[in-house]
Amino acid sequence: MKKILLALGLALSVALPALAQAREVTFTTELTDYRGDGAYLALYLTDASGAYQGTLWVAGRKSKYYKHLRGWARGSRLDPAEYDGLTGASITSGRTLKITLDLDDALIDSGYEVRVDTAVEDMRDNRADVAVPLTTGGAGTPVPGRGYVRSFRYDF
Amino acid sequence: MKTRSVIVSLAVLCLSAPVLADDDCDDPVTDWQPREHLRQKLEAEGWTIYRIKVDDGCYEVKGLAPEGFGAEASFAPATLELMELEREDDDEDEEDDEDEDNGEYGYRDNRGDGQARDKAQTNRPVPHNGIVKGRPTVTVE
Repeated sequence: MKKILLALGLALSVALPALAQAREVTFTTELTDYRGDGAYLALYLTDASGAYQGTLWVAGRKSKYYKHLRGWARGSRLDPAEYDGLTGASITSGRTLKITLDLDDALIDSGYEVRVDTAVEDMRDNRADVAVPLTTGGAGTPVPGRGYVRSFRYDF
Repeated sequence: MKTRSVIVSLAVLCLSAPVLADDDCDDPVTDWQPREHLRQKLEAEGWTIYRIKVDDGCYEVKGLAPEGFGAEASFAPATLELMELEREDDDEDEEDDEDEDNGEYGYRDNRGDGQARDKAQTNRPVPHNGIVKGRPTVTVE
């Protein structure tokens, strides 16, 4: 009995902090009617100085086009380990992409930024189409993009 | 002295330009053959051509290879040399096919096939980049 309680205690001591540290965040990216092919997007985190920290999502299946997501490509070095399990189809003009994922609590209010790079075939590439600090205060506030992103927001 | 610096800078710029270019093919445009030549060459080899377009400095061909599989291939526009060939009907290329089904960059999930989307999300590997925990949920509206 004591052993079971000990095992349970150990399991909880491992599981509870992990649960407490993760926060569910939804990133909503609405595209403009840019009248082109499907857009490739990379959502990623940087520190306050703009240095790449990690990938949140990549929209667009063909890795040969990833180089056009220039800021993200440079930061991630296009290492598949950075984006495995975090890719989906490209997003067509005027549509809205919603990604919900669990992020470490320590990334919020700690000087990190969410950036979105965008690219469309035969149209210009937008490095940091969106760049917003990841803060509790900024949650729920839509911000406009500079390129194909009409608005971007995140919610906890 | 200034003139010399400018000349040196220009020379360095000219020399570095080809190195900086990220196109997959770098044939000079003056040497390009018409895409009709490529079409005739490939059709003679047994290809069925759906379309030929220019992508990253190469001719990109979509069609059926002589062996009968769907293919996307890149050719050097001057020499018409094969640069890259991707099969498009393999299971492992299923993800790419999703793009192709709805145009080059289309989004199949938009057509309301919720089951396909759920399956795709379940089959997706768990991310391991240290930032995202668990599989993300993705929707397009």
